[in-house]
Amino acid sequence: MTAAATPSVAEPTVKRKLRRRPPAAIRNGRALMIAIAGYVAAGLFILLLGLVIGARGVSGIILPALAVVVPIVVLCILTVRLTRTRQVWALALVVGWAAVVAVAVGFLIATMASRQPDANATFFAQLLLTPPFFLAVASAWHFLRGARWFNGEWEHPLKADESGARPISAPLVVSAPPAPADSVPSAAHATAGTAPLAAAGAPAAPVAPGMDGHEPEIRPIVAPEVAAPASAEAGRPLVSVQGLKKHFPIYGGVLRRQIGTVYAVDGVDFDIMPGETFSLVGESGCGKTTLGRTVIQLTPSTDGRVVFDGYELADVDPEDMRPLRRRMQIIFQDPFGSLNPRMPISDIIGEGLLAQGLTDRQARDKRTEDALELVGLRREYTRRYPHEFSGGQRQRIGVARALALGPDFIVADEPVSALDVSIQSQVLNLLLDLKRDLKLTYLFISHNLSVVQYFSDRVAVMYLGKIAEIGTVDQLYADPRHPYTVALLSAIPEADPRRRRKRLVLKGDVPSPAAPPSGCRFHTRCWLRERLGNPERCTTEDPALRTFGEEGHRVACHFAEDISQTTVEQATAEAPAVVAAAVEGE
Amino acid sequence: MTETSTERPVAGAPPRDDILLDVRNLKTYFRVMDGVVPAVDGVNFSLGKGHTLGIVGESGSGKSVTALTVMRLLDIPPAEIGEDSEAWFDGRDLLKLPESDMRRIRGNDIAMIFQEPLTSLNPVFTVGDQIAEQVELHMKVKAREARDRAVEMLRLVGIPSPERRAKQYPHELSGGMRQRVMIGMALSCEPKLLIADEPTTALDVTVQAQILELLKAIQERTGAALILITHDLGVVAEMVDNVIVMYAGQVVEQGTVDQVLLEPRMPYTMGLIESIPTVEKRGGRLSAISGVVPSPFHLPPHCRFEPRCPYRWETCRTVTPELYNAGDGRVARCHLHLVEATARREAAIAQHRQNMAMGRRFTGAPDRLGDR
Repeated sequence: MTAAATPSVAEPTVKRKLRRRPPAAIRNGRALMIAIAGYVAAGLFILLLGLVIGARGVSGIILPALAVVVPIVVLCILTVRLTRTRQVWALALVVGWAAVVAVAVGFLIATMASRQPDANATFFAQLLLTPPFFLAVASAWHFLRGARWFNGEWEHPLKADESGARPISAPLVVSAPPAPADSVPSAAHATAGTAPLAAAGAPAAPVAPGMDGHEPEIRPIVAPEVAAPASAEAGRPLVSVQGLKKHFPIYGGVLRRQIGTVYAVDGVDFDIMPGETFSLVGESGCGKTTLGRTVIQLTPSTDGRVVFDGYELADVDPEDMRPLRRRMQIIFQDPFGSLNPRMPISDIIGEGLLAQGLTDRQARDKRTEDALELVGLRREYTRRYPHEFSGGQRQRIGVARALALGPDFIVADEPVSALDVSIQSQVLNLLLDLKRDLKLTYLFISHNLSVVQYFSDRVAVMYLGKIAEIGTVDQLYADPRHPYTVALLSAIPEADPRRRRKRLVLKGDVPSPAAPPSGCRFHTRCWLRERLGNPERCTTEDPALRTFGEEGHRVACHFAEDISQTTVEQATAEAPAVVAAAVEGE
Repeated sequence: MTETSTERPVAGAPPRDDILLDVRNLKTYFRVMDGVVPAVDGVNFSLGKGHTLGIVGESGSGKSVTALTVMRLLDIPPAEIGEDSEAWFDGRDLLKLPESDMRRIRGNDIAMIFQEPLTSLNPVFTVGDQIAEQVELHMKVKAREARDRAVEMLRLVGIPSPERRAKQYPHELSGGMRQRVMIGMALSCEPKLLIADEPTTALDVTVQAQILELLKAIQERTGAALILITHDLGVVAEMVDNVIVMYAGQVVEQGTVDQVLLEPRMPYTMGLIESIPTVEKRGGRLSAISGVVPSPFHLPPHCRFEPRCPYRWETCRTVTPELYNAGDGRVARCHLHLVEATARREAAIAQHRQNMAMGRRFTGAPDRLGDR
């Protein structure tokens, strides 16, 4: 299912071709060269050490050797820890390296010259010491050029403001209305109840009209077709996914050879418009979490492209990803597993800020506290540790961690499924409010169809790594056109006893994604195929996503036309006792 | 609490014949380092033969501990069962039985289905052996017959090619299959009472549908009584006749499933139902219950829901609520059902109906704060 096969996905405009990550061959060659250089340098060092010991004896070498080795170790540690984010430090380290090497060289030359005062020996020593000198010069060059030895033309890395990321010092709330006199921070803090978004919402007493003014901002459905002409900005998708694949190798056997492939995500296309909530639903193992992680390049994709706001992500240089990552954040599923128990909240939230170059501790803490306040927690909580919080509060911390960087796009990976019902609605409300106040775009991943129906604008149903059906919430829930969607919707337990009805129960379990069925992946469990007398097409031909009925409603089923209220009812009624049905399934 | 239950027999006497399980004033405390946790604090309910009962509540509300106490599966200490607690099952008080008699009842007369089948099945025995062991022990049959029965049970719960599956280990089965094995094991000795503790929480929605249909079919076929413990109101709505809502170790509302889910009379239940996202509430905000479940060490002294309750007033902070009669045989632990609070009750019910109809609009209510 490539981009060409689905013409309704518009070709995204690519803003700027960023530096491409060099191909694997070059990266491997570079690694090999660095390794060889390392071996050569180590060999030379040992050789020189022997030479010096010969000249001055073992006891005489200890102090001078320490004077060289200790700074080298310190510099190594500092280099690893600091140069990734801080340009000034990198420069200082280059100077430091040069100084250490100069001291070592000078020390060795002096040693040899004093021992062997004839000119030939000195020249020989200088000859020997030339390689480490060139190594030092090369390492300085390496730092300054950003390790781009083979790339040809030198390009500047993408700057944060070029990428469209909000300045890291900008306030977290963007849509603040003209601040009324009584919403100064101190007053807002005093009223613990309404503190967090006092600036974004409005003060409590005179609000009624102001609140009504807010309401239209939350349009229940922003279908892209409708939204597109409304704003020029919304015409282009924020995220465009085309033919995205993510395969995981399975290793086994004595030699740990690859013995199979898990087709976790296998050719997925969709667009997410700015300000939209796009949901992925499906059972566990259908690849929805992998898809979410691949969209923001937390796991590299196997094939296909992701275009985020005009930037091709799939093969962007890692350094260029950094400013883009600020705009794409993720909220993880498990609020207990995703927070490091040994870090205080200030570090958990501040780590992303630090990685983005906000090195000023005070500014970072300020922003951390702002983010906490934004999600309805107290500012003082920054000094606490995760175990001191309940599940709902932890999930709020996870949300704050994502928000601290001021993202535009958030992948919410089952943000409420680990929470109790009453806490779940608190977090959902929070996410809705944040979406309104911060103009966020969500990719919402969930297995809970009722939550998705309430929460999202458009939905894609996934089955075994492919999209089975995609459409707006109204299209999908009112008029499901894929037999899997029909069964999923029928399986939701309704809390309203008046809506109790007979279910359409699917047979068996989801097949393994390592060996997906041929043709249509759903055909092994499909009730519609059974009713149609098992047509051969289902097992031989993989159905492409095609537009069905209204614009934007696409379905991957050969026989979507055959689904109607009556067929569903008949299938439900005819379904034999569940026990027997399951036995038949084998 | 006795005034609410009209025909409750005197303490120490067995209940009527058609009552299978009668739990009276059940109290379970955990004595831990930081103090005493009243995990279950005075729970009463009775279950007729062949009836179904749902116990609903959030995590930490004591619903699982209730079941474990009745099954006598808690370690004593740290657990402590109240002196005057009684659990009459089939004419005997389970809490007073010697351990040897209890072993005969467990698995034979009362069977339990646990939440996570992978941890409750033994990983080093085949599933067939595990079912057969129980059959052999309780039904006093030969090993061969027990094995045949195990295969038969696997067939009953809808496992394809049961002869082959019986020889497999738990890790070779999928989650839904394992839960079927658990159900098969629970049913193998034809229990009179089946306790299912979150049987579908770990499962996907289509598999959950399979398991629920299976439980329903089997419960109808064998006529066993069923206690279903869950936090999912949707599951409760589809499965049971009567519902108990628990909060912080106490029963806060009890009634038929239609009564409790359609016309709840306790603010906590109202809040729970309102917070379920539905299609009508799109575009509005969900009316969440503010705050969190209170710490079991620092329970509010009177009404335990009072700090989170949107309808609270002075009485709630000064008087401890009982389970009041809320009409039509249902009971609710809320002062709204006092005669003098009629106006408040009407207002609360009207508010609930409104919330259900459309979801709460953006009113600037400060309920986005999770931790007041």
